[in-house]
Amino acid sequence: MTARPAYGAFCIGLFAFSALAVFFVVPLFFMVVVSFYKPDPMGFYKVTFVWENYQKFFASFYYKVSLRSLYSSALGAVLVVALAFPTAIAVSNLSRKWQLFWVILLLSLMCLSEVIIGFAWLIILSESAGIPRLLEFLGLWTNPRSLSPSFWAMMIGLVFLGFSVVTLMIYPQAAKRDRSIEEAAVTLGTPPSRVFTKVLVPSFRPTLISVTLTMFVYLLGVFVMPTMLGRPKDWTMTVIISDKALGDANLPLGAALAVVMLVVTAITLAVALLAERHGQR
Amino acid sequence: MTHRASIMFLTLVALFLIAPFVVVTGVSFGASNTIAFPPKAISLRWYQTLITEPDWLKAIGLSLLIAAIAATISVSIALAANYALWRTGSGLSKLVFALGIGPFLLPPIILALGASLFWAEVGWYGRMEATIVSHGVFFVTLPLVIIARGFASLTKEVIEAARMLGATETQVFRTVVLPLIAPYLITGFALVAIISVNEYLIANMIAGFVVETLPIKIFNNVRYGYSPVVASASMLFVAITVTALLVLARLTDLIGLLGASKED
Repeated sequence: MTARPAYGAFCIGLFAFSALAVFFVVPLFFMVVVSFYKPDPMGFYKVTFVWENYQKFFASFYYKVSLRSLYSSALGAVLVVALAFPTAIAVSNLSRKWQLFWVILLLSLMCLSEVIIGFAWLIILSESAGIPRLLEFLGLWTNPRSLSPSFWAMMIGLVFLGFSVVTLMIYPQAAKRDRSIEEAAVTLGTPPSRVFTKVLVPSFRPTLISVTLTMFVYLLGVFVMPTMLGRPKDWTMTVIISDKALGDANLPLGAALAVVMLVVTAITLAVALLAERHGQR
Repeated sequence: MTHRASIMFLTLVALFLIAPFVVVTGVSFGASNTIAFPPKAISLRWYQTLITEPDWLKAIGLSLLIAAIAATISVSIALAANYALWRTGSGLSKLVFALGIGPFLLPPIILALGASLFWAEVGWYGRMEATIVSHGVFFVTLPLVIIARGFASLTKEVIEAARMLGATETQVFRTVVLPLIAPYLITGFALVAIISVNEYLIANMIAGFVVETLPIKIFNNVRYGYSPVVASASMLFVAITVTALLVLARLTDLIGLLGASKED
């Protein structure tokens, strides 16, 4: 941009680089290193090189937990996108004032703590103050019981959590889309539901695939919903990792589980990136 | 979707999104000692408990302090990265940008565990400073992307004019660049602060047993038997979050910032 050498700007860039390198990259590297250390019941760990933490992962229990996590995250991601995509399209058709209302609502929900959302659902599903009580009042359920903890309570929590994020990810593209094909289809007498499935879904396919994969990774990392709304048998890998690290103080095993999760995450994100690139061509 | 069907659909979605908070509000204004909705009698006692009990006050104060400093750190890093990219366009600054997107994409548990191991090694495990620095670095993605929009909005002519009139780089930055990107800085700051106030997992794994922030306190309360004071604490949160975003909507063009304006 200028003929003058930009030493100042270089130093400023170096500051940003070091901050991220030291406090983001180094901890991740260190975690990989610790995953090869030996657990020490007396302290944190013994510095050696062992494979036993990874061997433990492939011994049934953790293996099953991860498969279950993969299943609930995948199901959650598909449900979230199925709900968020029509919402984003519908919001983009509103007046600017109502669009702003939705943006603020969604941003609030996106920023709101998992803890608060989990607590709110815990209450709305409880026998003393929520849907069960409403059903009793309406005479639909004579002896109401709490609906949580259960698999579907956890699922509602996950969908609720992911919904605002995905809608906000799709919305900008929905707002800027070229509406001429839709309008042409409508003019030719195509029913609106067919316009949605035959015009909108195909034209957003690359986005929908990459957003679903991103959401899958996001839900894999959710901690509060499984612990608050799910049963222990619904607990995901995230809960187990935190349990190993904080509860049992078995940091090397927790680190190994986290490294496995990191690998799954990296592969999923790479596929998402490829899907998006492929769609752009 | 026909127009009417789409409005009906949106109304249902809005109900699904808002209903939990209506119930929590009801519970928080209840007079009884147990969680009940609809409340039999209205009272403010749980809000009174919240703002008079030192335990809750301390958690609120800690959360706000951590959020304010973490947001400052985050915006400084994001501004530095963007300035370097804008001035030099070097490979290093592009690398910084790529690194800054990373924390947003990774599951927080991985960041949290990495950070807690790192801080244990450094000797800051269980200290508030560690939570602050980690929050500041991990939440850099949003300000990074938002401030980049600010720099993209700067026109070359304004900068060139300032330089031709003999302004030094520092003067150009202080008098031309900074005022023009200020709304983006404020938005980035506010978003990081809001996210930090609400964050549970990272704060808990780095120092949760000593530095009890509001989400950690609420979580512990819910886990080990709870009273309606949790509902009032939650509603305080919702109020802080929504107010901050409404103020932000007044100050800046939120729809435009999301990149949803047709003119982009």
